[in-house]
Amino acid sequence: MTRNEFLSKLTDELKKYNITDTADIVSEYEQHFAFKMADGFSEEEIAAKLGNPAELASQFESISEDKKYEGRKTAAVIGLCITDFFTGAFFVLLMAWEAIMAAFSLCNAVAAVCLLGGISPWSLIPSMPYLSGVVFALSLIALAVLSAVGCIYFAAFIRQLMRSYGRFRQNTIAAASGNAVLPSLAIHPRLPAKINRRIRTVALLSLSLFAACFVLGMTVSMISAGALEFWHAWGWFGYTAVN
Amino acid sequence: MNIQYKKGVLELCVLSLLKKRDCYGYEISEYLSNLINIADGTVYPILRKLKSEGLVSVYMQEESGGPPRKYYSLTNLGRETYENERAEYLKFAQTVESLLEDDDNDKE
Repeated sequence: MTRNEFLSKLTDELKKYNITDTADIVSEYEQHFAFKMADGFSEEEIAAKLGNPAELASQFESISEDKKYEGRKTAAVIGLCITDFFTGAFFVLLMAWEAIMAAFSLCNAVAAVCLLGGISPWSLIPSMPYLSGVVFALSLIALAVLSAVGCIYFAAFIRQLMRSYGRFRQNTIAAASGNAVLPSLAIHPRLPAKINRRIRTVALLSLSLFAACFVLGMTVSMISAGALEFWHAWGWFGYTAVN
Repeated sequence: MNIQYKKGVLELCVLSLLKKRDCYGYEISEYLSNLINIADGTVYPILRKLKSEGLVSVYMQEESGGPPRKYYSLTNLGRETYENERAEYLKFAQTVESLLEDDDNDKE
């Protein structure tokens, strides 16, 4: 008897005894075949050693099946549907935040390019000496990199959170129907140590570069404008320019 | 040996194995069929029976490079039941052994 013959015979015989959970039983025998075949046994040998499917099926007959799980499973599914609604809304919120971070990163990068190129589309970028512009552009680039790294990590976080929720759903249904459950998944992303280290380095570098360039840019601007509130001197934010 | 006779004892053997550590089905089947002459497939109905009686519980464990394995673990009820039945069996086996040995002596 081959593997498939054995398994289909077993399924048929189990159905004769009105056993509902045949898939669960048959999967154990499937695994048995998988292990034995990995050890180099032939399908016929394994089937012969397992015994007669009809006889095996009859041994499952007398085992009383739990009726108490039927109602529980329905309750679990209804409960999960309600949970899904709120969790779905929560995931939409997280993804919106991801989109905002990505847009923020992109805006910073574009603004930095404009400052470096000395262009001001629709006069959105206030006028300033080119030196201040360059220093501010550097700080903006650093901010763009920082938020991009944040984006990547957050995307990994959302993905892991979704997988973890998926596992929770699967386990809830399995537990409610009396089946074996898998270990739950961690909610924080498990990135390889090397990537984790790299993300941390890039984040720290870009954060310190941003802070340093921002302070430097302010100082340079204050000196060249000759005033602490250089934005007044240069007529930003609707102030009339002093010179 | 009679299969019905063996089955009761096999349950006890499975419990004693699970008392040491959690096992997956195939492990138990291999272990027992190496020691006792039974068909490999007999262990699975026994495990299912123990589960339906609440003596063992099951959980899944992910293995690297393969489908998750179903592990069996002894519940508190299973532990208690095992201890009671073990004591009963040992007493019974002792009685039977002494009876059979007496028989041996009579012949000589």
